Amino acid sequence: MMERLLVVRCPELLEEDEGGALLRTFIRVLAAVEVYCPWVQPVRPGICSLPARGPARYFGGEQALVDLVTEATAAIAETQVGMADGLFGAVLAARAALVVPAGTTPAFLALLPVTTLGDPDLAELLARLGLRTLGDFAALPERHVLGRFGADGALRHRVARGETGELAGFRQSGMDRHIQRHQHGDRPATGTQGGFWGGTSDRDARAARTLADVQRLLGADGVLRIRLQGGRSPAERSRLVTWGARETPGDRTLDAPWPGQIPPPAPAIVHTPPLGAEVVDDAGEPVVVSGRGLLTATPGRLSVAGGPWTAVTAWAGPWPAEERWWSRARRRTARMQVVLAGQDARLLLTEQGRWWVEATYG
Amino acid sequence: MKDRAPAVRESLVLLAERARPTSSSESQLLPVIPPLQGLFPGGGLRRGTSIVVAGDGAGPRATGRADGTTSGLTLCLSLLGAASSAGSWCAAVGLTDLGAVAADDLGIDLDRLVLLPSPGPKWAEAAAALLGGVDVVVLCPPFSVRPAMARRLLALTRDRGAILIVLPGRANWPECPDLRLVVGNTRWDGIGTGDGHLRRRRVTVTATGRRSAARPRRRELWLPSMAGTVEDAGPDGPTDAPS
Repeated sequence: MMERLLVVRCPELLEEDEGGALLRTFIRVLAAVEVYCPWVQPVRPGICSLPARGPARYFGGEQALVDLVTEATAAIAETQVGMADGLFGAVLAARAALVVPAGTTPAFLALLPVTTLGDPDLAELLARLGLRTLGDFAALPERHVLGRFGADGALRHRVARGETGELAGFRQSGMDRHIQRHQHGDRPATGTQGGFWGGTSDRDARAARTLADVQRLLGADGVLRIRLQGGRSPAERSRLVTWGARETPGDRTLDAPWPGQIPPPAPAIVHTPPLGAEVVDDAGEPVVVSGRGLLTATPGRLSVAGGPWTAVTAWAGPWPAEERWWSRARRRTARMQVVLAGQDARLLLTEQGRWWVEATYG
Repeated sequence: MKDRAPAVRESLVLLAERARPTSSSESQLLPVIPPLQGLFPGGGLRRGTSIVVAGDGAGPRATGRADGTTSGLTLCLSLLGAASSAGSWCAAVGLTDLGAVAADDLGIDLDRLVLLPSPGPKWAEAAAALLGGVDVVVLCPPFSVRPAMARRLLALTRDRGAILIVLPGRANWPECPDLRLVVGNTRWDGIGTGDGHLRRRRVTVTATGRRSAARPRRRELWLPSMAGTVEDAGPDGPTDAPS
């Protein structure tokens, strides 16, 4: 079974020029394709391939993936994108901007002229014999081919028959390294040589481009920033904003006094929304906070989200708080910190006899 | 925020020292805050390398949803502080419900921290893309990672000169990192039975690596400290809360 490959072919970038400008453009094409699949392989200058099966599933089909890649690379260079089984077929499919359905690559190849095998002498010889297409050539019995056209001809015959996925020598060896060397020579100011003072704005620009690419991959809301704002609870003090979105000023300032804040250190994880929890004493009876703000019993065990019970080894609070919580209504709530067996620490919140894990000190 | 200023200044001084000599091996280092320097061969985060941060197995367990909890999270965040204050970009893939206050207290420049909390099945592609344009990528894989995928991400990390910090949590990370940091002996300070409050956490961080880092390095730390930062706890430091 030959591998399903997507190929991007850049007709203007198939050669290498002295200054390396073409290769640099090709590297930008590679970077753009890489957003859709990190497994992209530079095959030779101007041609790269990627295994298409996985990405095609994620992006809603083979044609959808081809369209995405075409769109992503169009701004950088002229590109031809196609898909077929095996590298040889996929490169030819790219030249024709075709998605050759899985399993039909031999039939597709059969229609193409023998010149596509990249050997002019062989092509001329075949033409004199009246064999004009790969299909004609493929129909010759294998044993005759070896005798008449030699070992090299036999190899091309196997490609024409769809038994081998690529022509020997088509893939340029060491392409990865070649590109890597070029890349590092190309950007001296991005940290590795420019040090930390120079090149910062360059780094910012690179990060911004990368993040825009990732947003195309995951959707705008998949890439977020976190902002600080005023508030009493850890949840109130964190706000997520979409990357690149215009910021609306928060309605809570940091400088205002916020009585009732839990003293530092702040928890590393703020559960949004809070996780349901149960607190019981050693006898298994639920523990609640009374109307006077006191615990009805000593907390013995905690279960989070219906999970296993863990022993409570230390606790602090409860600290009553009356405030706006995740709803806008004013509610009577209280907070308690607990340390569990294994020294995991949690910030609990209780309201009307129910418990929640509001934050975890990771 | 005010408490952090001296630490930031210190790391900037350190950074200036690093930037001055132009030996390539030194400019390959991103700074870490002083209490953590002893954990790293070279004293900082080396470009092109990978770090796995793990708890010693006693971390918070699954709670029915992927809440990213692990006792190594604060250590992981503290690794970003100095680098991010100095202009490096950081991204966290698969890390949900990060607390802004804790991140800020640890010195992270929130303008240069990008979160991809739920990347879904495209998490590896997203991580791979980030490695090409962001200096430090924190990865909390939502699923166990296949060896081929892990190797691919490590290769990208090397090629692009990025730093990959893996916080495996309950997922499995199949490849050997350049450096492995394990948080153990955790003990919370300042909280009793109904009195006090969580004041600071004493931990032992053990670093083991390959080649020059093969000998384990150990540090006793307050992580977090009373100010929400990281402080050296010293081998003979007080183990009980000061009143």
